[in-house]
This record gives sequence, structure tokens and C-alpha cells, in this order.
Amino acid sequence: MNGTVTGGWNFVIAAYSVTALVFVVYGVTLITRLREARNRASEER
Amino acid sequence: MKRSFAIAFALLAVGVYFGLIVTAGEQYLHADLSLGVSVVARTLIAFLSGLAAVIVFLGGDDIENYARPKILLVTGVLFLLVGSYFGLFVAPPEQFMGDTQRIMYVHVPTAWFALLAMTIGFVSAVVFLFNSDFVWDARMEGSIEVGVVFAFLLCCQGAIWAKPTWGVWWDWDPRLTTTAVLLFAFLGILALRRFVEDPVKRGIWSSVATIIAYVDVPIVYFSVKWWNSLHQQQSSPNTVSKPFWIPLRANAFGILLLMVAFIMLRARISALRLKHELAPPPLVEAQLGEAV
Repeated sequence: MNGTVTGGWNFVIAAYSVTALVFVVYGVTLITRLREARNRASEER
Repeated sequence: MKRSFAIAFALLAVGVYFGLIVTAGEQYLHADLSLGVSVVARTLIAFLSGLAAVIVFLGGDDIENYARPKILLVTGVLFLLVGSYFGLFVAPPEQFMGDTQRIMYVHVPTAWFALLAMTIGFVSAVVFLFNSDFVWDARMEGSIEVGVVFAFLLCCQGAIWAKPTWGVWWDWDPRLTTTAVLLFAFLGILALRRFVEDPVKRGIWSSVATIIAYVDVPIVYFSVKWWNSLHQQQSSPNTVSKPFWIPLRANAFGILLLMVAFIMLRARISALRLKHELAPPPLVEAQLGEAV
């Protein structure tokens, strides 16, 4: 115990993976929802 | 509208130049690209021009244009790739937190832009209450949802950072508690919007709820100053070593652009739904046609 954090790469990889996952999944759902909304709007016209 | 997009990109370029390129020039090319501007002024210019770019991107946004958010998405991902490369492979480990500190390069910008997205939601709510323009209602819904996604991600990243440094995944510390309250308050507003079918009532009620919930945003920001918190206080260029600037700032520009792109995309989904809800039923249209 010397007051410093040792290791930690597994936590770093976890944090970056969660970040990438959330951005990719949310981005994909937005594009999919937008496409569906546009298709619905064009069908109604 | 086209001009506002170009102006926003120009503002962003100014921010990137003073926030990122000058620092990269100093560190890797040993060249002075600062144009005689001091470190504090450069940070301030980068911050203000980034903020101004967000205002112009969203304020001058043409909700019918679908190419712009995609351009911002691609640019944001490029910044994030560069920032993550520097954060993971180039920047040195921090003296006390070691490699764990690399989490800060994604955690800190996520925190900034979660609060900014909720601020945009707050501004949209106020504007909607004044002018009743449903474009602002769509922007409010978009920015609240993006703020909630970012706040959720923020809590996940924070928990992953807390375990090796504090020894626990979660603590009912003032910063963490107020952030959790913020997440659930804005989640509640999204739930409220789902339950109310009348678009006018939905817009007014959720605007009022957003204004009330927004009170928690300054509390989250100042919680580390007001109370004895485990969470560290806000950093500044004076308290962050220079080798950490490039990954932090590149990721900040990347997440900023993703936030703007996500809000634009989500606002378009809301606008299309509102268009459908506010359109007169086909029978009424036909009757109106006969009457004319």
C-alpha cells in the first residue's frame, strides 16, 4: 500500500468498451427510428 | 440555414485550433502555433467557440435536412478515435491513479455534455413556453433523451473508475447522489411525455417539469464544492498536466459533436411524430375542401 493505484487496464478497457457500446447502440437505434418515422410519414402522404 | 452550418463548423475549427492543434504543435512538433495567445486565453477561446458552435448548429438547424447530423456523427467519431488512441497508447499513466486515470478521457467529456444536453433541454423548454413552436418541443425531447443516455453512461463509467480507486462501485456521495437524481428526474420527464397523448398538454407539462428538474444541474456541478465529497473537484488547465490535454480535448470535441448529432436526429424523429399528431384528420380535410 503506497497510495497509488496499480494495474487497472481491465477497468480502462471496460470503460472504453461501455462508452463505445452505448454510443454505437444509441446511434443505430436513432437512425433506425428515424428511417421508420420517415417511411411512415411518406406512406401517409 | 446552409450558412449557419458553415459558420458553426468555422467556430468549431477555431476551437479545435486553439484547444488541440496548438497543444499538439507544442508537444509533438516543438512549434509555437499559438499566434501569441496565452494558455488561459486559448482554453477560454476553445471553450467559448465550442459552445457557440453548438448554439449555431442547433439554433440554425433545418429540421428537414437529414445529411447534417450524419456529417457531425462521422466527424465526432473521427475525433473520438484520435482522442482514444492518444488516451490509451500515447499519454503517460498518472502518478497516483496509474492507468486507471485513462478513464477520465471519456468520463469527463461525457459529464460535461450530459449537463450541456440537459441545459439545451432547459433552454428549449423555456423557448417553447414562450413561443409554442413545436420545433422547440422536438428539440427539448431530443436533448432530454440524449442527456439521459449520457447521464446513464456517466454513471457506468464512474462506477468502473470508482471500483479500483475507492474500492466500491457506488457510494451515496453528494456528487453521485445528485447525478442519480438528475438521471431519474429526466427519465421521469420522458415517461411523462409517453403518457400524455395531447401534444399541446404534453409540450407544456414537460416544459414545466424540465424547468423544475433542471434545478438539479447546478447542484450536480457545485456539489463537490458545497459538500465534503469523495469525488474530486473540477480540474482546470493549471491542475491537469499537458500530456493529458490532447486525449481529453480530442474526446471532448468528439463527444460534443456526437451529442449535437444525436440531438438533431432525435429532434427529427419527434418532429415527424408531431407532424402526424398535429395534422387534421383526413375527414376534416375533405369537409374543409367541400366547404371551400
